[in-house]
Amino acid sequence: MRNKLFIVFAVLVAASLLLAACGAPATPETVTVVQTQVVEKIVEVTPTPDASIPTALPAGSVQVNGAGATFPAPVYADWAYAYQYVDPSVVINYQAIGSGGGKKAIVDGTVDFAGSDSLLKDEEYTAGKDLQMYPTLAGAVVLIYNIKLAQAIPTPAAGAAATVLPALVLDRATVVGIYNSTITKWNDPAILALNPDWKDYLPDADITSVHRSDGSGTTEIFTKSLASFSTDWTAGGASAIEWPKGNNVGGKGNAGVAASVINTPNSIGYVELSYAMSNKLPFASLVNQAGKTVVANNDSVQAAMAEGTFSDKLTATIVDGKSDGAYPIAGYTYLILHTTSMTDCVKAQKVLEFFKWAMTDATAISRASALGYSALPDAVKTNVLAKLAEVSCNGAPVLK
Amino acid sequence: MSTNFSELIKTGYQTRSTRRKSINVLMLSLTALATLLALIPLFWIVGYVIYMGAPSINLDFFTQLPRPVGMEGGGVLHAIQGTLIVTVLAGLFAVPPGVLAAFYASRYPNTPLGIALRFSTDVLSGVPSIVIGLFTYALMVKPMGHYSGLAGGVALAILMLPTIIRTTEEMLKLVPHSLREGSLGLGAPEWKTSLSVLFPAAFSGIVTGFLLALARAMGETAPLLFTALGNERYNVNQIVTSGLQGKQSAFQILQRVLDQPLDSLPLTLWKYASQPYPERVAQAWGVALVLMIFVLFVNIIARVWIESRARKLRG
Repeated sequence: MRNKLFIVFAVLVAASLLLAACGAPATPETVTVVQTQVVEKIVEVTPTPDASIPTALPAGSVQVNGAGATFPAPVYADWAYAYQYVDPSVVINYQAIGSGGGKKAIVDGTVDFAGSDSLLKDEEYTAGKDLQMYPTLAGAVVLIYNIKLAQAIPTPAAGAAATVLPALVLDRATVVGIYNSTITKWNDPAILALNPDWKDYLPDADITSVHRSDGSGTTEIFTKSLASFSTDWTAGGASAIEWPKGNNVGGKGNAGVAASVINTPNSIGYVELSYAMSNKLPFASLVNQAGKTVVANNDSVQAAMAEGTFSDKLTATIVDGKSDGAYPIAGYTYLILHTTSMTDCVKAQKVLEFFKWAMTDATAISRASALGYSALPDAVKTNVLAKLAEVSCNGAPVLK
Repeated sequence: MSTNFSELIKTGYQTRSTRRKSINVLMLSLTALATLLALIPLFWIVGYVIYMGAPSINLDFFTQLPRPVGMEGGGVLHAIQGTLIVTVLAGLFAVPPGVLAAFYASRYPNTPLGIALRFSTDVLSGVPSIVIGLFTYALMVKPMGHYSGLAGGVALAILMLPTIIRTTEEMLKLVPHSLREGSLGLGAPEWKTSLSVLFPAAFSGIVTGFLLALARAMGETAPLLFTALGNERYNVNQIVTSGLQGKQSAFQILQRVLDQPLDSLPLTLWKYASQPYPERVAQAWGVALVLMIFVLFVNIIARVWIESRARKLRG
C-alpha cells in the first residue's frame, strides 16, 4: 500500500515538473530600440577604511535603520554595502518603502533616518518637532517606454549599417498630453512630429501610462514638472495625486513602475534614471524650456541644479529649468534627521559619519554616478555639511 | 407463461442493472477526475516553484547576505535567519496563552467568559493579517520607537492564536468524559487531572494544531510589513561575534538579535518579486522554493508526529 502510494506520488511529481516546464513563461518581448545609457557592471571595489573614523567598536555592533524613498534606494543600498569596509562597526539598513512611508516613519520616530524626495509639509515639520532635510544627491526622473513597433526594423543589406532608432523625443506639452490622456495613441501627430525617424515604427496603439500608486517623491518631482510645463495640467504637483481619467495603471515604487512598463506593451512610465539604466530600458529625451533636446545625464542634471535656489529649510525645486542644458524633470533626494532629539549618540554619530562619507568620499561619489545619480555641486555640499555639523545629541554636537 | 414472466423480470433486471452500472462508472470517473483536478494545482505549484527556483539555489544562497543590484551573487541568509527567529518568537508568544485559554474554554464552555472567548477567536481568525500588522505597529512599534523582530513575533503570534485555541479546544473536547471522571473519582485534583490525563490525551492534536498555525504564520508577509520592516544586512553570526568581542552579556546580545528590524522569507519574496531586475526576480523564485520547503517540512513533521503518536497509542 505504502509503495503504491509512493509510486503515485512520484508520478505526480514528475508530471507536475513536466507541466511546469511547459508552462514556463516565454522571455518577454524585447523592444528593438537603442539604449543610450546603461549601468556598466559594477565592479566590486573595496573602499579603504577611513582613518578619521574610529573603529574601536567590534564589527557590526551598531545597527542603523532608515527607510523611505525608492528614488535613491539603489545607491543607498550600494553605499551601505560598501560602507562595511569603511567602518565595519556599523550596519546600515535602508528599506525602500516610498517617500511617504519614510516621512511618516521619521515623524513617528520609528527609524533613525529617513530618505525622501518629497518635501516635508508644514504640519509634518510641526509633528516631527525638530526635523531637517538635507539634500544628498540629485537625479533625473526619466520617461521609460515599451513600444511594440508597428513593423519590424528591416534587416540591412550586406555591408549596410542597420537602421537604429534614436531615443524617443518628447516635448513638455506632449508629456503633459500623455499623462492627461489628451494624447492617447503612439502615432499621435504631436509625437510623430518630434520623431521623424520613428515614422514607420510608431504603432497605432493606445498608450498605457504608468504612475506610482504609493506616496512618492518621484511622483512629486514629476507632477511638479507637469504643472510647470503646461497650464493644461490641473491635477497639481504632490507626492500622491488624483490622476486624470484615462488608460493608466499604478505601480508600487520605482521598481514597480519599471516592472509594469517592462510587462505592458505600448506603455510609458516615469522612474528615477538609475532604474532605467540598470534595467537597460530605453528612455525619452526631453525638449526643455529653452527648446533644446536634452538627455538625462549628469551634465543636464548639474545644469538644472545650477539654477536652483535653496530655501531656508535647505530645500530646492529644480524642475523645468530655463538654461539650455537643463534636464526639465530633475530633483534632489533628501535625508531627513531629527536635529536635537536623538538620544543614542553612538548611533547618531554613525548616521552622520555615513552620510558625510557618502557625500565627500571619492569612491562613494563614483559609485553614485555609476548608478546614474549626480553629486551635489560644491557650494550646496558645503551648506549641507555645515548643517549636518549642527546636529546635536543630548545637547552636544555629534560630529567632532 | 411462467417462463415468459421470469424471462421478463430477468431482462428488466438486466437493463436496470446495466443502467445502474453505467451511472456508477460515470459518477466514479467524474469524482476521480475532480480529485485529480484538485490535486493538479498543488503539484503544479510545487513543480513550477522547483523548476523556477532551483537554478538560483546554491551554497551562497544560504550563507551570504544580499548584494546591491548590479553585483552578482549574494544570498538570503538574513531572511532565513529572520524567518526562523520570528516564527520561534511567535510560537513562544502564542502557545502558552492559547493552550491555557483553550483549557478554560473546554472546561467551562458555557460561562460568559468561555462564550466570549469562542466568539472572539472566531472573529479574530477572520481579521485580515494586514490589520493585525497595523495593530501591532500601533501597539508596539510606535511606543517602542523602532521596528523590531520582536514586534513581528507578536504580530504573528496574534495571527496564530485563533488556530491554536480552536484546535486545542476541539482536541480537549474529544477526550472521553469517562477519563476525566475516572481521574476525579480516584481523588485527583482538577489541576492534576488536566495536566496528567487531559493534556497527554490531547497532546498530539495540540501539537498538530500548533504546527499548522506555525506553517501558516511562516508564510505571512502582511503582518511583518509594519513590524519587522526588513533588513538586508541582518546577520545573527555577526551580531553574536561582535557582542562577544564587545564583552556584552547574553541578554544584551539577545536583545540586539531580537530588538531590531529583520527580514523574513515571504517579506524578501514580496520585495524581490516586484523588482524589475531579472537577477532579483530569479532570486525571488529561489526564496519561494526555500519558503515552500520550510512550510512543507513543518507540515510533514506534523504528519509524521501524528502517525507515530497514533501508532504508539495503538500499542
